Amino acid sequence: MRGVDDPGALAVVEGHPRPRVVAATGAARSRGVAPGSSLAGALAVVPELQLRTRDPALEAATLAELATWAGQFTSCVSLDPPHAIVLEISASLRLFGGAEALARRIATALPQLGLTAALAVAPTPLAANWLARARPGSVVGFAPAWWRRLDPLPVALLAEGGAVSGATLELLHGIGARCLGDAARLPRDGLARRQAGAVSDALARARGELPDPRPWFVPPEHFESRLVLPACVATTEPLLFAARRLVSGLVAWLAARHAGLDRCRLHLEHEAHPETVLEIATGQPGRDEARLVLLAREHLAALALPAPVEALRLTADALIRLAPPSGDLFGDPAAARDGAALLLERLRARLGAGAVHTVHPYPDHRPERAWQAAAPGAHPAPGALCSGARPLWLLHQPRALDSTRALTLLSGPERIESGWWDGADIRRDYYVARAAGAGMWWIFEQLDPPGGWYVHGFFG
Amino acid sequence: MSAAALATLPAGLVWRADQLARPAADGIPTGFAALDAELPGGGWPRGALIELFAEAPGIGELALLLPTLRAVPAERWIAWIAPPHLPYAPALAAAGVPLEQLLLLTPASHAERLWSIRQALASGACAMVLAWLARADGAALRRLQLAAEDSATPLYLFRPLAAARQPSPASLRLRLVPGEDMLAVDILKRRGPALGAPLRLAIRQSPEPGPGPSCHALARPDPARIATASVHARGG
Repeated sequence: MRGVDDPGALAVVEGHPRPRVVAATGAARSRGVAPGSSLAGALAVVPELQLRTRDPALEAATLAELATWAGQFTSCVSLDPPHAIVLEISASLRLFGGAEALARRIATALPQLGLTAALAVAPTPLAANWLARARPGSVVGFAPAWWRRLDPLPVALLAEGGAVSGATLELLHGIGARCLGDAARLPRDGLARRQAGAVSDALARARGELPDPRPWFVPPEHFESRLVLPACVATTEPLLFAARRLVSGLVAWLAARHAGLDRCRLHLEHEAHPETVLEIATGQPGRDEARLVLLAREHLAALALPAPVEALRLTADALIRLAPPSGDLFGDPAAARDGAALLLERLRARLGAGAVHTVHPYPDHRPERAWQAAAPGAHPAPGALCSGARPLWLLHQPRALDSTRALTLLSGPERIESGWWDGADIRRDYYVARAAGAGMWWIFEQLDPPGGWYVHGFFG
Repeated sequence: MSAAALATLPAGLVWRADQLARPAADGIPTGFAALDAELPGGGWPRGALIELFAEAPGIGELALLLPTLRAVPAERWIAWIAPPHLPYAPALAAAGVPLEQLLLLTPASHAERLWSIRQALASGACAMVLAWLARADGAALRRLQLAAEDSATPLYLFRPLAAARQPSPASLRLRLVPGEDMLAVDILKRRGPALGAPLRLAIRQSPEPGPGPSCHALARPDPARIATASVHARGG
């Protein structure tokens, strides 16, 4: 259950008409629900056990997602269905500081995806698979007779991936071979006579004596990852947790493709309601996970959910090739510019794009039209209209002057008469005046219709 | 501890209340020598909450900041959060404020205003943050002061005159009172001894009246309306 922090007692069941438990969470296992037990037995032990039907398509999709994610560690990834992936890491060892360091790094990064895995390192893919299954965490390097480490593993591993049939496995059990070392000591021609040649073949592949070619996994062109929430969610806080997992996968996919993006979409799927789509746009191409999570958080915080959410989907296309960042001895000169762009994105995400802008002069004689809102960072066009004194503050609406206010006219009048062509015609005489105890004001006398006096700005 | 023992302590370790504090970093010059001389560090503090109290917006508070606004480093924002009126682009451009660095925010609610201020400070991408808050309790001010300290960004908070009585963690509090051609700056609080009399700064609030109507395409020669105007030119 990747969408939640602690799923509680939960089991995955498979089979019809007598369903059996194939996997259970730690909470369920600690109370006696073991893989292989019958559904009725499991429910008798833990009545509130949550059940999920095994979904092979979801498993395959998760495996593909994991393979995509692993592309950040090596470019040579291959799927080993039904539930393993193989990374060819010999070319990555130097970059990541050795096999142990790389394994540690993978193990600590995996929980961000909401997945756990058993890892093992070995010189051949088959040996790594067996070790991961039977002795997770072991790291076996190229050493003389390294394959002796495989000898104590149970013989049942030979059936992994259908290499050895069940009948052959029973044959091995029947002649007393319990571990792989026992099987390796059996005479090869004797096994071949009993239609059990596959055993020697598998052992030879595991030791590297026979070639074991694997097709490389090709990451998909478009990113799409879906996360079904364990229960419908009506608040945005749990959504962020799930979104973080999706973003983690997206960033790894980008890293594997040496690419970045400047927008992605987070789809919130509702039951019986069209899905809500959040467009997450970053100011500049990148694949910074923290940045994407921050933006997702702001979008979610500003969102009013129309209906409870049952699944999340993150999609992205339109990749942008990124040059890898080069390490710089004196810090990154672009960091300040990045910070400025990031601030802008965050403010826009939370406040709305309309609440974040700058002002530019606009060539119009009418004071209320002599400015325009512009995108922050844009340079104003040079060549403003020549004009008289203008105040730093302009009132949104001219305010009628209080007749008791003592004012001293300092300069003026400046006649402004313009705008007959668009219906917002004005005819005014503007003055700079000092208001006692309130600074300098920009006031005007309305000429059309005549008579009214208004304050239009403060010199601030 | 006696005064003599105090004097033997290394400079900078102890701040004596009868002297101006010596902050670690020099301040940002205000552009007014008389004001610089009275501020610890010789200018606006770099990472601090600066409260400016005025009866109403528009009495000269922007003119006080104009020299600082003109001198902000490139590629950093000047955030204006919830300004009470429209910052008028033609006047700002004429005064030399870099409009491309202006970041004008109009958050809808009080909570969003506070959030925007904290974001602007925390990003480190702002050269200065100007914010207008009608109300702010002590805890909010404390958080803003800490955020400003952490980011080494000055936060200029414009507040109504009545709020000056409220205790505040701000490291600099100024009261602005307009006068004839001068702005009286009363330092209510600084890291140093109290100031005897308000400073009077000569701030020309209006730019030099330009060529005026002569270059105005649609303007006419000055009409003879002085009679009407003088009716309103009482007092002053």
